[in-house]
Amino acid sequence: MTPAGPNDEDAADVRRVLAGDPAAFAGIVNRWQTRLINLAWRFCHDRTLAEDMAQEAFVRAFRALQSFRGESAFSTWLTAIAINSYRTALRDREPAAVSLDFVKASGPGPDVLAGLQERERDAAVRQSVFKLPPRYRDALVLFYFEEMNLAETARVLGIAEGTLKARLHRGRELLRRRLG
Amino acid sequence: MDDKEIERILSSEEHLVPSSGFALSVMEAIGEAEAEPQPARFPWWRLGVGVAACTGRAASFTALVHDLDPAAASALAAAAPELSLAAAVVLATLAWLRARRVFRVLD
Repeated sequence: MTPAGPNDEDAADVRRVLAGDPAAFAGIVNRWQTRLINLAWRFCHDRTLAEDMAQEAFVRAFRALQSFRGESAFSTWLTAIAINSYRTALRDREPAAVSLDFVKASGPGPDVLAGLQERERDAAVRQSVFKLPPRYRDALVLFYFEEMNLAETARVLGIAEGTLKARLHRGRELLRRRLG
Repeated sequence: MDDKEIERILSSEEHLVPSSGFALSVMEAIGEAEAEPQPARFPWWRLGVGVAACTGRAASFTALVHDLDPAAASALAAAAPELSLAAAVVLATLAWLRARRVFRVLD
């Protein structure tokens, strides 16, 4: 007998919720909480905010559950809702100011200081992504999140693969320019 | 900084573990969301009935005026267009008030 996969479990929970058992949504929350929190984290790098954003995304998903028709994978549907929810949450927030001086000053080196500089540089690159225009930010964050492929990322964002490729290219270019 | 370096950095984010009470707090929020009343849908059907009622009343009033004295109606419209406009506004208001009563009956 084949064990039930996450998609089967999600579909079963969706059916139970729609049949009038809202507690069945707990199964969906338990399976997807790590993914949604980590995705939110990549947009804000603030743990409390990431959990708040993920919670709001779950509430939205619960309200929109009737619109899930199983045409796409549940993960794609849920991630699309989460991305839209995060976009709304971040719209009015000013990204944290980041000093990029050490990005330009740092270089490869064998000592501890170089290691520290490298970590700071990585953090600065990630934070620079927040400051990109949302269309490039969303594409970059999502594409590199759990190494999603082009097709899946494009489906979640609701754009063509060609458009996604162009946005990734342009996003990386903007990042390179900003980081010097 | 090249593309590979950017890709490496963006792919190697740290991994968060949800707080212990996260799932519970989500389910509480969902319980609250469920308790909220559903947002009211826009009453397109009522709007349609209202527009039809207003149009019908305006048409019947125009027909009535023409039946009574077409020449006088034309002369009035030519001589005092603002009076015609005022009549139309009064008529529309009456139709709107009437339509509200119709909706109450339909409720």
